[in-house]
Amino acid sequence: MTDYIPQDYQPLLFQLVLALGFIIFTILITHVLGPRLKNAAKDAPFECGIESVGDARAPLAVRYFLIAILFVLFDVEIIFMYPWAVNFLKLGWFGFVEMLFFVTFLMAGFYYIIRKGVLNWEND
Amino acid sequence: MYPILFLSFSGLITLFLGFFQEGKWVKPATILFLAIASISAFIDWNKPGAYFFNMLQVNNFNLLLSLVILITAILIVAISDNFKEIEYAHSAEYYAIMQFSLVGAIMMTNFQSLIMLFLGVEILSVSMYVLTGTDKRNLRGNEAAIKYFLLGAFATGILLFGIAMIYGGVGAFEIDAISGTLASNQAQSLFLYIGLVMLLIGLLFKLAAAPFHFWTPDVYEGAPTIFTLFMATIVKTAVVFALYRILHQSFQNMHLSWSYILAGCIALSLIIGNLSAVKQISFKRMLAFSSISHAGFLLLGLLHVSKTADKSLLFYSVSYLLASTSAFGVLLALKNERTENGRSNENISVFKGLATRSPFLSAVLIISMLSLAGIPLTGGFWSKFYVLTDAANDQFFYLIVLALLLTAVGVYYYFKPIITVFEKSDIQEAITINPIFKIIFVLTTLGTLVLGLFPDLLYGMI
Amino acid sequence: MLILILLLLPLITAIAIAVIPGISGQLSKNIGGGISLVNFLIFIYGLIQFQKGDTVLLDYSHVWLSNANINFSLSADGISQVLLGLVTFITMVVIHIAGSFDYKQSSLLYILILLTESALIGVFTATDIFLFYFFFEISLIPVYFLALKWGGENAPKITFRMFVYTIFGSLLMLSAIIFLYTKGQTASIQELAITGKALPKNVNILLFLAFIVAFGIKMPMFPFHTWQPDAYTESPTPATILLAALLSKMGVYGLLRIALPLAPIGWNQLGIYIVILAIFGLIYGSIIAIKQNNLKKILAYSSFAHMGLMAAGILTGNLSGTQGAVIQMLAHGINVAGLFYIVKIIQDRTGSRNLEGLGGLSQKAPVLTVLFMIVLLGSVALPLTNGFVGEFLLLKSVFDYNNTLGVIAGLTIIFGAVYMLRMMQKAMFGQLLPANENILDVNKSELMVLVPICLLVILFGMFPNLILNSTVEAAKAFTQLMSNI
Repeated sequence: MTDYIPQDYQPLLFQLVLALGFIIFTILITHVLGPRLKNAAKDAPFECGIESVGDARAPLAVRYFLIAILFVLFDVEIIFMYPWAVNFLKLGWFGFVEMLFFVTFLMAGFYYIIRKGVLNWEND
Repeated sequence: MYPILFLSFSGLITLFLGFFQEGKWVKPATILFLAIASISAFIDWNKPGAYFFNMLQVNNFNLLLSLVILITAILIVAISDNFKEIEYAHSAEYYAIMQFSLVGAIMMTNFQSLIMLFLGVEILSVSMYVLTGTDKRNLRGNEAAIKYFLLGAFATGILLFGIAMIYGGVGAFEIDAISGTLASNQAQSLFLYIGLVMLLIGLLFKLAAAPFHFWTPDVYEGAPTIFTLFMATIVKTAVVFALYRILHQSFQNMHLSWSYILAGCIALSLIIGNLSAVKQISFKRMLAFSSISHAGFLLLGLLHVSKTADKSLLFYSVSYLLASTSAFGVLLALKNERTENGRSNENISVFKGLATRSPFLSAVLIISMLSLAGIPLTGGFWSKFYVLTDAANDQFFYLIVLALLLTAVGVYYYFKPIITVFEKSDIQEAITINPIFKIIFVLTTLGTLVLGLFPDLLYGMI
Repeated sequence: MLILILLLLPLITAIAIAVIPGISGQLSKNIGGGISLVNFLIFIYGLIQFQKGDTVLLDYSHVWLSNANINFSLSADGISQVLLGLVTFITMVVIHIAGSFDYKQSSLLYILILLTESALIGVFTATDIFLFYFFFEISLIPVYFLALKWGGENAPKITFRMFVYTIFGSLLMLSAIIFLYTKGQTASIQELAITGKALPKNVNILLFLAFIVAFGIKMPMFPFHTWQPDAYTESPTPATILLAALLSKMGVYGLLRIALPLAPIGWNQLGIYIVILAIFGLIYGSIIAIKQNNLKKILAYSSFAHMGLMAAGILTGNLSGTQGAVIQMLAHGINVAGLFYIVKIIQDRTGSRNLEGLGGLSQKAPVLTVLFMIVLLGSVALPLTNGFVGEFLLLKSVFDYNNTLGVIAGLTIIFGAVYMLRMMQKAMFGQLLPANENILDVNKSELMVLVPICLLVILFGMFPNLILNSTVEAAKAFTQLMSNI
């Protein structure tokens, strides 16, 4: 194992400072730069010249989110498979069995989802 | 190690059992799985060693911790009742998640590498976020879940950052390696200090110690009672022993640095926990604040690196989880008592007239409250005794005096339910108790009393 | 071994009554009464053995917490014997009294009384400090539940105040005990005395204060007495008798066994101030008692005053003070039990425990009046009654300690006579109220309690040497310990 010395972690600290600095900077700068105008006409709800109707929070199908989350889930699993594929020869059969386990778990979850009817858009 | 493997599979099986005969086998199967997992822990008995590339350490004490966690889980599962209360309940999922969360808890008590600690914390926490929000129609439950998730995720981030920093300071994740490095060279890098503090913050948050306690009352109150019990017992035990391994087995040479941080947290936890509990009307909220003060006591056992700290902490955990199981269990047994708006009454007033309605339940409640308050004859007294004698040295003796004085405050609020039990109520009908509840209550109450009379039975055994 | 039987017998009986289903209140009364009688007889047997010089029967020791070096060790010397006698006797009396009134769900009542007896025997014989603390704290719990369940309307609030008060004191004591324990690495009271002596002055003072607060609340001693009058008044009579006759003695006993020996330098520095407080409480309690109209309140304040004198006697640290306090503990325990019982009888007959609602009862109940008179005179410390010897010795010790304080404390005899005789006169003599035309004299069951009490009042008044001789050795050991600091 390579010996790391604390100085090697300076980038990390640097990143932390930078991230914090950026956030604080943007919060402050928007207050300074942003032109502000306040009057009754501006504060009134307005939509293409028509009086606005109903709630600003429109309902969205929950199913869409479910699909999106499932997508992210499988997406991340693919990312996990990539390094395995690169090191496939080095890991050998042990790696193969491990990956089989992993995929089995994943598929079990997938099957569970189907059984639960999450992907079933038509019913109810 | 075997419980971890087994529970990962059995959790999956539990999920699919939910499809089978409308899920009526899920609960018995879960108890069976947990029992098998407890037995499987004994495969490694007297065979200390390391697993998973030296990321997990197994020895008899760690196995005992796993056992304590698993047995508590059995008790908790036994007094749950398929979540009939919750609308649109997916009970198989909850039981499965409970089993997965136990995997995390056992990892947290048996870890050798900080990476494993992080994994354990994540598995346990994510499960708890989900379980907190299971009652989807309960606004308070939703609020609790979101609060717990946002703050918890933040805390986990800090924890991970801390681990990275520690790696920067010593170049290793294994706690043995860290302690070896710390023992050999004197001057420590700044990263190590920052890392340790961050790691502590992350874990203290999970322990619900002040000043990282703000989520506790809302989450305890909002979550379904059974999961509140889960949080108060299993999560606490796991986190305390994770802290024990970090502070006493890897950072013991930096005792001077962390003991002051800990002392501050202890004082704050005791003061905030005890004083805020006094005014509570909701029983669950009161127990939430009391759990903060108990976190303070548990930390008190960690304050001083001594040979007996592990025993004292285990004794404290066991007596605390026995008493908590009784206390929350009584509340669960009374869940058919409704308030005006139709929800289960979770205020202290629910115990009104319990002495005439069910002498058995009142005895269980009274003994659990006495134990939580630390009155002799119950395990709570000796657990406080062990922790305090461990922590007693000249440097922090004021903390002990503070702890004991605040225990007097504790007596004040723990006795509120007891007095309510003896108040007269308009409702006279007797309460019927499920036989499983009866068995569990007899076990926990007897356990509390036996620990109170013969503390050596447990303490001498470890 | 005998002492263990003494301790376990009531405990096992209580558990048996609780666990075995279908034991009615009446049956449990009989069982409880029988067991308490057996316990008393065992004590008498032990006492005879003790007088013969055989202490083996009264020692017991067993490892309790092996890792922490804490033992379950009990032992009874002369002072403990006196208190054991008081405990076993009063328990019998209380069970009998409880049986003569109608309390609902009474099997629980006897369970709690027996548990209290068990705990008190533990307190008065423990030689391990944690064992002492253990019993010291749990002795209150059954009495608390007694008072909570069968007390008056305000009982929950008032008994709760009492509980929190005493727990607060005990926890202060616990911190002192833990400190001593970590310093001395032993839990034996005898060995801790050596540790205590070696500690620096300021630490010693703090320890002493912690102990004084704990025991001062228990007794109660001025200024920690605010819980007491209400608690005595609102509790049901069995609980009141347990509190006044037995539990309050734990405070005095604690001073004698724990506070002074374990923090001797603190006592040396602060003893005089505490004596002043105790004497002040004595006078203060007596004056308030004179103004009271509620019979139970009069007794509560008189009890408070008596406790102050006992505390002062112990705190002087000389032989007559110690012996006086021990004999007075016994005398006060017996007298106060009799007095509270008589008040309960009067209250049941007339429906009033205020002096305005009473008067002239002697015309209808002459026997009760005579018995009342005897116990009352014992409490006033008339010569030839049990109260006299103790009070005399205590006043002598305070006088030897500090002449001025002795003179002030002497006033208590006058005050005591005033409030006690005022109570007697207003309740029993004078004009009989029309409402009380039909009251009955004492019945057989009541005589069974009151006659032995009266006999004891006279017996110990005529032959105080019975007690003085058997306690002199233990008292000398104590004064010796306190004299070479």
